[in-house]
Amino acid sequence: MDQRLQEKEWIEEFEAAARRPLQQRLKYAFIHTYKPVLDDEPYRSFESLEDYRRWCEENLPIWLGYARV
Amino acid sequence: MPAFDYRQAQEIRDVFAKHGVKYLFIGKSGAILLGYPDTTQDADVFPLRSPENGKALVLSLKELGFRLTQDQASEIERGKDFVQLKNGPFDLDLVFAPDGIESFEDAWNRRVEVEGFPVSHPDDIIASKEAAHRAKDRESLPRLKAYRDYWKSRK
Repeated sequence: MDQRLQEKEWIEEFEAAARRPLQQRLKYAFIHTYKPVLDDEPYRSFESLEDYRRWCEENLPIWLGYARV
Repeated sequence: MPAFDYRQAQEIRDVFAKHGVKYLFIGKSGAILLGYPDTTQDADVFPLRSPENGKALVLSLKELGFRLTQDQASEIERGKDFVQLKNGPFDLDLVFAPDGIESFEDAWNRRVEVEGFPVSHPDDIIASKEAAHRAKDRESLPRLKAYRDYWKSRK
């Protein structure tokens, strides 16, 4: 899509969102779908963000998009 | 698990305020609170790392219904850089040291209040996503930056 057309479409989406109250925006925004591996443990913690990023790259399916590029 | 909703966001805000937790919403959930129309799965908060704030945070999380062992509570009180909670009424990520943000105090001074929710400034949300270098962030950044510019133009 042409970049200017794309940006125009985004602005229309932003303006439509701005007309909705916060409660409604949150209702539409938060969804829950199962993410393999990531959702399989009730608690994880990492000493550093670097440790977390590395864990994501080594353990999560690439299509989840958590790997660094 | 049902998706995070407005009532739960209010509960975070109110319980954290009751216990005096100093924190900011960050990440896409923060952007959504600012008005950014998109979808996400969990809420991300950036708490101040300090002994007092850590204790208040653990008290708050328990009151919200998160089931924390003693070891987990200690890790949160200590402020490990990244804690992922899926042991409560909704998924919550605690990010004590977000990529791309120098200090909590700097981010706090730039915060935006939305109906009582303390939210990181969109510049900080973008900085943290840029610094993370993740594929999923790279794909969404152009639209998020366009929203930041739109948001600023309305101020």
